[in-house]
Amino acid sequence: MISVQNLRKEYNGKEVLKGVSFEIKEGEFFGLLGPNGAGKTTTISILSTILSPDSGSVTIAGLDVRKQAQKCKSLIGIVPQEIALYKEMSAFDNLMFWGSLYNLNRNTLKTKIFETLHLFGLADRMHDNIKEYSGGMMRRVNIASALLHNPKVLIMDEPTVGVDPQSRNLIFEVVEKLHHEGLTILYTTHYMEEAERLCERLAIIDNGEIITQGVKEELKKSVPMNELIKISINNLNNEVFEKLASYWPHLKQEEETLLFSVNDSQKELAKVISKCNELNLEVKQIDIQKINLEMVFLHLTGKQLRD
Amino acid sequence: MMKIVLKDLKLFFKDRKALLLTFLLPLVLATLFAFAFGGVGRNTNADKEYDLPVCDLDSSAASKMTILVLDSLKTLHIVPVQLSHAQNDIKKGNIDCVLILHKGFSDSLNIGNPLPVELQYDESKEMQIGMLQQSLIPTLSMLPYKNTEHIPIMMKNMFGKMMGKRHNETEGKVNQQFDELYQSIGEGIEANPNANQNIGFSMNAQITMTKLVSSVDDNTPGLVQAIGGVAVMMLLFSVTGVGTGLLDEKQEGTLKKLLYSPIRPNQILFGKMLSANMISIAQLTVMFCYASFAFGLKISNHWPSLLLMIIGTAFACSAFGVFVASIAQSRQQAQSLSTLIILIVSAIGGSMIPIFFMPAIMQKIAVISPNYWAMQGFFDIFWRNLYITDSTFLTRVAVLLFIGIVLNLIALYFFKKNIVEHVS
Repeated sequence: MISVQNLRKEYNGKEVLKGVSFEIKEGEFFGLLGPNGAGKTTTISILSTILSPDSGSVTIAGLDVRKQAQKCKSLIGIVPQEIALYKEMSAFDNLMFWGSLYNLNRNTLKTKIFETLHLFGLADRMHDNIKEYSGGMMRRVNIASALLHNPKVLIMDEPTVGVDPQSRNLIFEVVEKLHHEGLTILYTTHYMEEAERLCERLAIIDNGEIITQGVKEELKKSVPMNELIKISINNLNNEVFEKLASYWPHLKQEEETLLFSVNDSQKELAKVISKCNELNLEVKQIDIQKINLEMVFLHLTGKQLRD
Repeated sequence: MMKIVLKDLKLFFKDRKALLLTFLLPLVLATLFAFAFGGVGRNTNADKEYDLPVCDLDSSAASKMTILVLDSLKTLHIVPVQLSHAQNDIKKGNIDCVLILHKGFSDSLNIGNPLPVELQYDESKEMQIGMLQQSLIPTLSMLPYKNTEHIPIMMKNMFGKMMGKRHNETEGKVNQQFDELYQSIGEGIEANPNANQNIGFSMNAQITMTKLVSSVDDNTPGLVQAIGGVAVMMLLFSVTGVGTGLLDEKQEGTLKKLLYSPIRPNQILFGKMLSANMISIAQLTVMFCYASFAFGLKISNHWPSLLLMIIGTAFACSAFGVFVASIAQSRQQAQSLSTLIILIVSAIGGSMIPIFFMPAIMQKIAVISPNYWAMQGFFDIFWRNLYITDSTFLTRVAVLLFIGIVLNLIALYFFKKNIVEHVS
């Protein structure tokens, strides 16, 4: 459904996309996971036809986004990162406006609006002004506005930023429902938990490069370790780190936290604590995590997703 | 306490908008008003001269002499004109008045009868005409040269002025011509001693005043000035608000979302332009209807031309609003910039003070202001009673449309460059 080949883009002499390539099949839920500034939004801007790449190509349903931009726009629904709504208008009026840009029949559009608002649990407040909505409700209307013209592809750019847990869960449920109905979804996020829950296949992007991509479980298997021990220490310094790294070659440090990638945390934890005592380290907190996408990212880049 | 003072000053000097409004704007406005009221820029002789159109229907030596005498005054510059052309120009607001020396001027001068001198003028320019009279009457009073002591002064004035323009070789000829002319006038007076007794200092200085242009439906120029001036200035402020809606859309992400949809960037801008036009037309219409109900401005006889002028004015002003929005980077910047530009174009264009208060140079600069063309158009309609088909009136509408087109094209260029590219 979507084919992205070797995208390159430069801003003010800085290369923000360095040959990004990935494919999304029809009906697939694809995640683009990466920290802030990795190039996710630039990639989406190119996919949505409003930004031209310096080189490379993008096709959606076989249509070139540069040459057949208008046709492509009709095929895709985009949920931007910002809550792009007119706050002085009601949800219904907002949706009537955004839907009308796709030349939908007025009655068809009205029916679609009622359906969509019902789906997002907003039908009873559709005539209230958006400014009276909570952040989560606004996010839901923001997503609803991208669905009115029945797009073949839904592109969501960090759609849950600043959303309360209740709205977040509702959004996840709706998005999963849409996916089960056959909608192709490209979902960008820097929240590992969201990608874990929603996406079938993922590409991890960092510094404008796709550093890995594949099915979620395969990506996890690509990491040689199974668990992560996180230990926060008060009196951590370089000398201590060097000593510990000589025992655990995959050791990473993030500020006052040491990250031990291990196969069996039950066996390794005792050794780690013993070594810390030996080095007179003041341990503040210990946390053990099972293998997840964040560990994949950490393994590949040496840093955490939310850096 | 000093920490708070220093912090406030630091914040103030970081706020460009505040700086602009605090220092630059008052300076600019003070300069404009100084030009208008304070006599600034009127130091040269050229600026002091008032271009007085004169039509000499007598074509006698005496009438020509009179014209030379008037031209010798430092406050006047005589422009010979044909009567029909001058009358037409007055009706169209191009000139304020015409001084006519009728047939029999020379005879009247010789026999001491009241001089057949007429000043045809536009009633809306009464203030300028009043000042003009103050220059004309004393001069004309001296013509029967009963008060012969004034003659050498007049000659000296005129000669001095001529010498500034002509070659030295003409000096002798000019002196000779003066002698001959005054000799012939003197002979005429001696030949008619009775007339000589009637000559008083001001007796022959009567000028017949004829209003060539005055409202047929009781609209006063002051009312037209007030309503037109305020309407155009306030319109500029309100359309700037509509235009800067583009910047709000950019900031809030709705512009980006519009770009995601199948509509083209140009359509977004044209949509803004159209809505600004519609709001502008509504605002001006309400303003003139209010002036009609509240102040008795007679608009019922002028609907077609008023509507056309409203459309032209709305088009130019709304283009200004979109133009400012397209060149500014933020709403705050647009507001500062627009306030500065609006107050300047309103001041020089006649919205705040009538154009004729300003020196000649300022009146020439006024043509860059849409306010000027709109104000002149409203005077054409309500004061000069020009029809919708009149070329002068249509020219003013055309200029407003031209201003609108130019500003819209610039806005389109900067919209793509400053807004669409940055949003992407």
